[in-house]
Amino acid sequence: MKHALHSVVFGLFLASTAAIADDLPTYKLLMKDGRIVPEMLEVPANTRFRLEVKNEGPGAAEFESLELKKELVLAPGVTRSLVFFPMKPGTYKFFDDFHPETGQGRIVAK
Amino acid sequence: MGNAFFVVWRESLEAFLIAGILYAWLQGNDSSGRGKHALYAGLAAGAGLALLLGWALLSVQDELTGNALEAFQIGTLLVAAGLITQMVLWMRKNGRQMKARLHADLSAAAEKSGFVGVAVVAALAVAREGAETVIFLYGMSQEGDYSALIGGALAGFAAAGATAWLAAKSLARLNIALLLRLSSILLLVLASALFVAAIDRLIGAGWLPPMLDPVWDTSLLIDDTTKAGKLVADFSGYRARPALTTLLAWAAYWLLVVIGYRRTRP
Repeated sequence: MKHALHSVVFGLFLASTAAIADDLPTYKLLMKDGRIVPEMLEVPANTRFRLEVKNEGPGAAEFESLELKKELVLAPGVTRSLVFFPMKPGTYKFFDDFHPETGQGRIVAK
Repeated sequence: MGNAFFVVWRESLEAFLIAGILYAWLQGNDSSGRGKHALYAGLAAGAGLALLLGWALLSVQDELTGNALEAFQIGTLLVAAGLITQMVLWMRKNGRQMKARLHADLSAAAEKSGFVGVAVVAALAVAREGAETVIFLYGMSQEGDYSALIGGALAGFAAAGATAWLAAKSLARLNIALLLRLSSILLLVLASALFVAAIDRLIGAGWLPPMLDPVWDTSLLIDDTTKAGKLVADFSGYRARPALTTLLAWAAYWLLVVIGYRRTRP
């Protein structure tokens, strides 16, 4: 059971790395001192894109969105990318789970 | 300070709760003490794993390793959900046997594998959330804000410990049948939340199709983007805007649990 599970996860992982290699439109997001810049990010709807998240610190940050089903922990100074799949037009909220009071943002797909 | 307190409390609560429930159950059902030793060993191993995983998450920069880590974290979520579920069924079966035969001839092999399960569940609970706490605290130490770090983090740990202690104490007060039932339900709800989180992350990573997304929107009722709503989501698997895949997975989980539960009916 466990082995089967591992091979499924690993197979999916291999399949996804092939898809990530191509060039995608890239957007940048900055997490800084519990704040998110910009707080509103406009992206094209129904298009795959990449979001480059940089945590300028000084503390750690966690980009999280239950709606977008993403969770990414970032130590200070770290930049990482998230690939988003085609979204329907609409507003999607995300937040900095380590700074829930101040770190709120949204992605608007048009 | 306030923020550090809240984050540390929330991140460590799950591990403390699992440990507390297991402790209460072992207190009532296992007089040999070996179960508790397994629990302590699991917690210690989990702390070591948390440091290791935290370090791995800190040192990752490139996308490929990032994906491997994502896959690994999803794997730990799935394994934890599966093991907790299996352990609850094991506890149900053995609680019954202990009641009936007063624990005397519980087979040594069954007992041993059950205790290994207890240790692994405890270790995974600590390792998963502990890794994020490690990164959060590392970040604060980089800020140089040591008074907030130590004050907030210690208060957060203590509060999470107290919350779990309170839960375990109140459980231990109940009679054994009720204790068994309540702790089982709590653990199963937690396991379902882990399972939902794993499915959502599989969808988010593009490894599972969401199908219809979202099926409905109950954010007016409980908004899972608020602090309190997020807590509900983390511990129960609630989603304000669930994808159809997530919903089906959740339903399948509970269907399997009910079947498993009936099979072990006393």
